[in-house]
Parts: sequence; C-alpha cells; structure tokens
Amino acid sequence: MQENPTSQATSNHGLSLETNQSPTSVGPATDSTLQPVKTNTVTPLVKSKGLNAANARRMRRIIAEDAEWTLAIVPQLTELCIQHIVKNFQNNPILKQLIPAHQQKVLDHLSPDLPLAVTANLIENENYWRRCCSQRWPVCHVSKHGGSWKRLFFERHLEQLVKHFIPGTTDPAVILDLLPLCGNYVRRLRVDQFLPPVRFPTQPRDGDHQSDSGSEGDMEEPAADHYPLRDLVAGLRHLEELDLVYGVKDCGMNFEWNLFLFTYRDCVSLAATIKACHTLKVFRLTRSKVDDEKARILIRSLLDHPALEELDLSHNLIGDRGVRAAAKLLSHSRLRILNLANNQVRAPGAQSLAHALAHNVNLISLNLRLNCIEDEGGQALAHALQTNKCLTTLHLGGNELSEPTATLLSQVLSVNTTLTSINLSCNRIGLDGGKQLLEGMTDNKTLLEFDLRLSDVAQESEYLIGQALQANREAARQRILSPNQLSPTINGPENPAG
Amino acid sequence: MNPTGPLGILEEKEEEHLSTPILGPSVHSENSQERIQARRLRIAARLETRRREALGEYLDGKKESEEDQSRSYKQKEESRLKLAKLLFCGTELVTNIQVATDIKEIQRRVEEEEIKRQRLEKLENEVKTSQDKFDEITSKWEEGKKKKIPQELWDMLNSQQLHCAGLIEDKNKLINELQQELKTKDDQYVKDLKKQADDICLLLERMEEQVKSVMKTFRQELVHIEKAFEMERQELLANNKKKWERALQAHNAKELEYLVSRIKKVEEYERQLNKQRIWDCEEYHMIKIKLEQDVQILEQQLQQMKAIYQLNQEKLEYNFQVLKKRDEESTVIKSQQKRKINRLNDILNNLRLKYTKQIKQFQEENHSLTSDYKRLVIQFKELQRAMRRFAITDDEKFREIWLMNEEEAKGLIGIALDVDKIICTHHLGLPWTAPDLWFLKNIGPISQQFKKSATEIVEEVLMQTEDEGPEENVSEAGSYLDLPKQVSAKTTRKLLMLLCDESGFLIESKLLSLLLPLEKSECYLLRLDAIFSALGIESEDDLYKLVNFFLKYQAHHLPGNQDQSSVAVGLQSEKFSLEAGKKENVPEGEQEEKEPPPSPRLIHPNDVLKVLEAFVMGLNRPRDTGMPLKVWKEVRDNSKDSEYWEALAQVLPVSRQNLWDALYTALEKYHLILTERAKLLVENSSLEQQNTELQMLLQQYLGSKINSQLQVPPTQVFRVPNKGS
Repeated sequence: MQENPTSQATSNHGLSLETNQSPTSVGPATDSTLQPVKTNTVTPLVKSKGLNAANARRMRRIIAEDAEWTLAIVPQLTELCIQHIVKNFQNNPILKQLIPAHQQKVLDHLSPDLPLAVTANLIENENYWRRCCSQRWPVCHVSKHGGSWKRLFFERHLEQLVKHFIPGTTDPAVILDLLPLCGNYVRRLRVDQFLPPVRFPTQPRDGDHQSDSGSEGDMEEPAADHYPLRDLVAGLRHLEELDLVYGVKDCGMNFEWNLFLFTYRDCVSLAATIKACHTLKVFRLTRSKVDDEKARILIRSLLDHPALEELDLSHNLIGDRGVRAAAKLLSHSRLRILNLANNQVRAPGAQSLAHALAHNVNLISLNLRLNCIEDEGGQALAHALQTNKCLTTLHLGGNELSEPTATLLSQVLSVNTTLTSINLSCNRIGLDGGKQLLEGMTDNKTLLEFDLRLSDVAQESEYLIGQALQANREAARQRILSPNQLSPTINGPENPAG
Repeated sequence: MNPTGPLGILEEKEEEHLSTPILGPSVHSENSQERIQARRLRIAARLETRRREALGEYLDGKKESEEDQSRSYKQKEESRLKLAKLLFCGTELVTNIQVATDIKEIQRRVEEEEIKRQRLEKLENEVKTSQDKFDEITSKWEEGKKKKIPQELWDMLNSQQLHCAGLIEDKNKLINELQQELKTKDDQYVKDLKKQADDICLLLERMEEQVKSVMKTFRQELVHIEKAFEMERQELLANNKKKWERALQAHNAKELEYLVSRIKKVEEYERQLNKQRIWDCEEYHMIKIKLEQDVQILEQQLQQMKAIYQLNQEKLEYNFQVLKKRDEESTVIKSQQKRKINRLNDILNNLRLKYTKQIKQFQEENHSLTSDYKRLVIQFKELQRAMRRFAITDDEKFREIWLMNEEEAKGLIGIALDVDKIICTHHLGLPWTAPDLWFLKNIGPISQQFKKSATEIVEEVLMQTEDEGPEENVSEAGSYLDLPKQVSAKTTRKLLMLLCDESGFLIESKLLSLLLPLEKSECYLLRLDAIFSALGIESEDDLYKLVNFFLKYQAHHLPGNQDQSSVAVGLQSEKFSLEAGKKENVPEGEQEEKEPPPSPRLIHPNDVLKVLEAFVMGLNRPRDTGMPLKVWKEVRDNSKDSEYWEALAQVLPVSRQNLWDALYTALEKYHLILTERAKLLVENSSLEQQNTELQMLLQQYLGSKINSQLQVPPTQVFRVPNKGS
C-alpha cells in the first residue's frame, strides 16, 4: 500500500531514489513507519531545493533512521536546469551562456532530431553532429569530409535533398531555406542523381517519341530540365568541390533514355554556376552524356577560373572538338589534374592536347584512358612530353597505341625527369615496342610506376622494366629519407606503402 | 554504356589495393597472360616465404657473428621489402581485373565498330538494291499506265505486287535480322552484366583476401621484427652479463690478491711487534733497577727530612704558645680599643650634630650677610652712579662757573686793558703794547691734557712722516712734543710698518679683503688699528711702551750695542715696571736718558714676533693694576687755579696802577676846569637861543598879513637890515 505513492513520487525525479528504496523495503515494520515520512520529505525537497536549510532537522532525522539515504540521491539544481534546458531547447536554445562543463552536459542530452534552424549555427560540438550522422546514416566516412562531423552532416543532408528534388513538384524553398544554415559548412557537393520533372500525361507520348526518333529532343528539352544549381551554389560560400552525375539511379524497369538527359539548358545553367563560384577547386561531371557542344560551353565558362585545379569529365561523349576546348583551358587556367577517361577522343584531339601540354607548367596528371588516340595522338603526346617539365602522371591505357608510340616514349623516358607514373596497359605495344621501352627505362631514374599489362610486351622485358622500377622506387625512398637525416630503422615497412 | 558503371567502381576501389599473392583466384581468369602472371606471382611469393623461413632459422646462428645492431635493421629492411612487394603485387592483382575489363571493352568496341560498319554497309547495299527495285517498280508503273489492256494491266499489277512484296520482304528480313541482332545484343548485355557482376564479386573477394593476407603478413612481420629485436636484446643482455661476470671474476681475483698480501703484512707486523716487545722488556728492567736505587736514596733523604721536621715541630709549638699568649693580650687590648671606639663614636655623633647645627646657623648667617652685602653693593652702585652724576654735574657746573667767572674776569681785564690803552694813548700819548699773557688765551678750566689713543698717535706719526718726507730728525712739531724724545718719528714709523707687515695674522681676513682698494697709508692705519686692538694696546702710552720695548729688545740682543746700552737697559727695565704707575714721569725719565735710537738698522723682521710675545706678556701684568688708577685719574688738580686767577687779577701791574692814581688826580683837576667851561658854554648857548627866539618873533611880525594891509609894510622898513642880516 505504501509502496505505490512513494515509487510514483520518486520515479518522477530520478532513478537513484528508487534503487535506494529497495533495501529499505525489506522489513515490513520499518516500511510502515518510514514511508510516509519519506513521501513527505523527499518530494518537497526535490521540488524546491531552497527548503534544504529549513528542513535540515527533518533530514537529519531521516538519515539517522535510514543509513542508505543520502543527499546525493537528490538531483542537483544544475542538473535540473540542464534537463529543463534540454527539454526546451527547441523553443529556447541556451548554450553559449553556460559554463563549458554544463554546455557539454546539455549537448550530450540534446536530441539529434532538433530542427536544423536551431542547431545549425549554434552547436559546434562534434559529438552532437556525430550522433546526428550516425542516427541518419549507418555508414559515415568522416575522413572524406575533412574530419568534421558537422560538415559531413550538412554535406550529406544537402546532397540528399538535391538528389531527391523533382523539378516542378518539390518546392525549391526546401533547399534554399537550408542555405543560410549550411552555407558555412558545406565544402563539397557530390550529387550522383538528378531527377527529371515528372509529367504524367506526356510520359507515354514521350516514350513513343523516343522510340520513334531521338532527334526530337530539342523540343522536349525545356521540359526535361533538372534542378538548377545556380542559387544553391551561390549560397555556399566555401564550396570547393562539385561532383555531379546527371542521371537516375535505381530506375529498374522504368528505364527510359529520357531519364539520362543532360539538356542544353542544364548545361548553360551549370556553366554559369561554376563560373560564378570562385572558390571551386574540383569540378567533376561524369557519366552525364556530355558531348562536344556541352563540353565546349562548360569549358568556356571555366576559362581563367581563379581556383580550379581539377577537372573530371570522364565517362562522357566528348570528341575531338571538346578536347580542343580542354586543351585551350590548359593554357588558360591553373588546372593540375585533367581526367578525360572513357570519352571519344581521337588523334586530332590528342594532338591539340599535346600542343597545349608542350608548354604547360601546371598540369601534373592527365588521364586519357579508354579513348582512341591511336599512334598519331600518342606520338604527338610523346613529343610534347619531351619539352614538358611538369606532368607526373600519364594514363594512356586502352588507346590502341602500338610500336611507334613506344619508340618515341622510350626516348621521352630517357630525357624526362618529372614523370613518375605511366600507364600503357591494354595497348598493342608489341614485343619490339617492349624492348624499346626497356631501353628507355634503363636511362630513367625517376619513373616509379609503369603499367604495361596486357599490351603484348614480352614477359622478359616487362620483368626487367619491373626491376628498373623497383630500383627507382628504392632510390626515391632514399631520396625522401636522406634529407630528413632519419635513420632507416625508424620508418621501414611503412614507406613503400606511402 | 553499361561497362562504365563497374569500371567507375573499380576505379574507386583501386585505391585500396589489397590482395593475396598466395591465393590465386586469377588463375581461373580467362585471360592467359593474367593467369601466367598470377601463377608467377604466387610462385614468387611462395619462394619468398620459404626463403624467409629458412633464413629465420638460419640467421640465428649466422647473425651472431655479425654486428649486433644490423640484425634488427636487416630484419626490418627485409620485412619492408617483402611487404612492399606484397602490396605491389596485390595492387596489381586487383587492378588486373580492371585492366582485363578495359581490354575486353576495347575489343568489344572494336568488334562493335566492325559490326556497325558491316551493318551500315549491309544497310546501304540493301538501300541500294531496294532503291533499284523501287525504281524498277516505279518505272513499271509508267509502263503500266501505257497499257490499256486489262489483262496486261492485271499481269503487270500482279508482277508489281510481287515485286513490292519482295521488296517488303527484303526489308522485313532486314528488320528481322536487325531485331535478331538486337536480341543477341540484349542477351550479350545481360551476359556482360552478369560477367561484370562476377568480376566485381571477384574483385571484392580479392580485396578481402588481400586485406586479410596483408594483415596477416604485417602481423607476421611485426612478430618477426619483434623477435629480432628480442633476440638482439637477449644477445646484448648475454654479452653484458658475460662482461659483468668477467669483471666480477677479475674483481674476485684482485680481492684474493689483496687478501694474501694483507695476511703477509699482518705476519710481518706481528714479528715486528714481538721484537719490539722483547726490547721493551729489557728496557723496562733496566729502568726498574735504576728507579729502585733512586727510591733507596730518596728514603734516606726522607729519614733526614723527618728528623728535621721533628725539630721544627718542637720549635713551632713553642712559638705557638708564645703567640697564644700574645693573642690573649691583644684581645684584651682589642676590647679596650673597642670601648674607646664606641666612646669616640658617641663624641663624634655629638660633634656631628653640633656641626650640622653650626652649619645651619652659618648658612642662615651667610644668607643674611649675603643679602646684606647685595643690598650694600646695590646701594654702593647707586651711590657711585649718583656720585658720577654729581661729579659730572659738578664738573659741568664748575666749568660753567669757571667760564662765567673767566668771562667776567676777561671782560674786566679787557675793560681794564682798554682803559689802559686809552689812557696810554689818549691821555699819556705813549705807545701801548698789549701784554702777552698766556692765561688770556686759556678758556675753560685748566686741566691735564687728555691722552690720545694709540691710533691717533699712529695716524699723526704717519701723516707727519709723510709730510716731512726727507727731513729725518726734525721732530719738534707742536703735536709731536709729547712723543718720547729718544724715539724719532722715522723709527716709529719703520717699526710700525714692520709690525704691520709681520703681524698680519692678527688682522681678520675679512678686513684684509676690504683694505685692498684703499690707499697705502690708510691701509696701514687700519691694519695697525686692528693689530693694536688684538694686542690690547689702547693708549698712547702703550704705543710708546711698545716702541720702547722694541728698541730695548734690539739693544739687548744686539751684541754690538750691548755694552753701550747696558746701563740704560737697566734703567729702562726698572722704569718699565714703574711705567704703569707713573705715566707723567715717563717722558721726563726718558728725556733724561737722551738715548738716541740705537741704530738705523731696525730689529730683524724674524724677531718681531718674539718681541711682540714678550711685550704682550709684559703688558698683561700692568693691566691688572690699571683699574683703580683710572678712578684716581679723574680727580683733577686745582693747584694751578689760584695761580691762574691771581694772574688774572694782576693783569695790570702795580706801577701802572700808581700811574693811574696820579693821572686820576690830574684829570680831576682838568675836569673842574672843563665843568666851568661847560657852564659857560651852556650860558652862551642859552643866550644864543634867546637871540634866535627874538629873531623868530621878529620874522613872525614881519611876515604877518596885517603888514600887507598896512600902508607901509614893515618889511620894506626892515629891508635893509634884513638884507644885512
């Protein structure tokens, strides 16, 4: 009978009292005498701490009777305040006024579901954002977001919103409202899906059109525009990396070519967007069916960009004209990495690239994998490399190169001292070409990687080249170690991995 | 189009290059080269592991001979190389799949291109043939139009239909073919998808394997390295332990050596000790014998001493008795004395009491007397003051009376003299000479001339000498009369100059600075003034004394002059002592001496100070008696007064008085005559006056107006007499 009111009374104010009560309830005789006193004293005490002094006598009496009961059970006023702050944080966020220890406590107890409008600019604590992240996504690679959980949260949150934005249906304010909150924290935007506008009545007709003729895209294009990034990007002050894929994921059986349409308007809008974004360092637009025209539009907007360092247009449909524009970009920007893998670059495009490369001093990495530059382009690039003093990585895998290119490249190898990595895999170098490359390798002391897999090179020469590379690697390791004057015992096995 | 997806994924995963060289799933790869490579790698890896294992065991024995440090280093280097290779191979293995896919894609593309080209060609051919056919058909239509016969037309239409059907069939066939191709392509696509999915699965598997194996090998290598370090450490420990033991052994050996040497030393010392002991024993015996002999002698002496002691004791006892008696006597005397002392003490106390009483009495007396004395002194002082005042007033009165009397006398004398003069000149017709009498010039009471102060004298001297210049011995000037005769002004001056030069220390420095701009003589004067004030020279006499002292001193100390002036010196010295008392006599005494200045050469400047000292000593003595003399000085003498007044009274000699008497009588007679004459004269004058009055009356009558009214004016009557008058 007595147990009920007390447990109710105590359960309101913390578990510690309840646990404390279990030993007291062992003797029924004490129960009957003690419990009413307790209910009388504890509840007012907990509710108002100011009565402590007044009730000192009564408290002492209780302690005398119940050895287990102490004041420590009663939650402190600060605790209560913190609980209250946590409870009402949404309406009245009090954080900065607290002392650090209390701030920590509040942050530990805040719910991750609080509206971003409250938390975004108020809370810097990483732990809180970590909880938010882990609640929303099971896998989080914080190292890919600069080690900041807050940044991770906002980047992924924004990416998700953009990903699921349906033009014409979703309210643009959903994204734009978020801008003032996340503008300070987002540095990278990686969107691998842009949904097209939904148009139910025209959908079947579209399908008909598509099956009949794809040339009518021009008329449909305005309707198929995707979310324009202009406003969003303009609001992100620290945006450095933009990674876009104009396509739809997980479409399954609803597949339509129309879903993967990077329209002309999209392109123009995107070009204006990236031109206006002066902090942008990395721009990636892959798997988006960018053809020559669109590539030219984009690259024209990137000319003389103040910050751009990496341009990735791999897995598109860029041909020689687009590459010519890219070559022009090389001499009009500070581009360090250019990736044109899996496009439709042929000999003329490679030649124009080579021309730009011959006097370039910025580019350190060029990727032309899975194109078709053939020997003509390869030779042009090799000539350019004889004068270039900057490029360190060159990927020419799968380009139908053969012996003449290999001959020229072997000359380059003996002259050039900057190249550290060349990939010639999946070409038709042939046995003689392999031998010539081997000759070139014997004079080279800087090349660390040279991929010749599946390029019809004799195993013997490949093995010897591998030996030379090994020697170069050792030498490079020694070069790295020697200036530091570190004994080789300190960094032994870790070094080649790095 | 589709391969892009997996390729992209591959690319991403490429970064995590991990695989196992031991497990070679790539052996099952379709690509022969890849298989070969995989096998080769596997073999290499196996060889590597075997070699390492062999080395691991083999090394233990071998490496001990090598350097200690190199073992761990080598192990690490080895591990590093191995792991690098492992990683490199693993990466290659993983990327192999990508490369294979790439090349497959390229092949596919090439094939595709070829097929595409063929298809295009085929289509073009087909288009051409169908165009031909179509052209044929259309040309036949033309033909058909010309045909009028229905049969023919029907035939033609039929054939046309057939052609068309053929054309359509061709097209359909083509379409079918293409659709077939599409279907096969679709199948191919599905197959490719499946293949790529497999590839990705494979890739993942390889990656996982790679991760596992790399982890395993890393762990192994870590263990190996640790083992190597452990070994090295143990070796080091062993070495150190050995070293330690060696050192310990050496230490033990040395300890033993020390022990032996110590034992030897101990024995040696023991021997020495024994020797020493024997020697000491012998010495001890010898000394003992000697000492015993000494003891015997001393005992004999002791006996003798005892005898003497006995004797002495008896003597002393006797003495003691005597002394006891004496003591008794002395006690008696002492008691007597004590009593006496008591008595005397009583007396003393009484006397003391008396004495104190007396003292009190006398003190009181003294007090009263002193008060009396004080009072008397005050009274005396007042009296003195009054006396002084009276004296002064008396003086004044005396002086005034004197002056009055003198004036009166002088007036009388003057009258007398005038009378005398008139008498002499007017009455007697004798030339009169005024008697030259000294007292006439005297005004005021006759008194002692005041002593001039020393400075005044000095001033005079100085001025005079300056004025006189070369005249050396002329010192008879009026004011100079009172200078002592034997001291010439020149000498005095010289002396003073000397004094001035030599005793500059007596002058205050402040004064000196003030004197600088002044004239020479003035300067001297002021200096001398200062010096005199310092020396205590105040009066004329002092100054003369000084000068004389100088001269005498000189005479004393100049051997040449000593004989001559010896008598004078004696006199002078006598006088010197008297000088204070009899100032009046000094000039007389000195005059008597008539000693000329001893020599033109004056005292040596060096002696000036000595002389001064002596002088000051001498001067101080007479000063003591100066005080009562001064009082006495003030009483003037009136011895000359009567003489003076007498002289005044007898300003006219008796002869002249007699003359006057005679003259008086004569004159009286003359007077009588004159008076008679005078009476006559008065008579005469009265007569004259009567005459004039009568004349006046006449005039009045003549001049009156009645005359004009008259017929005959009297005037005309008296004209002639008037004219005569």
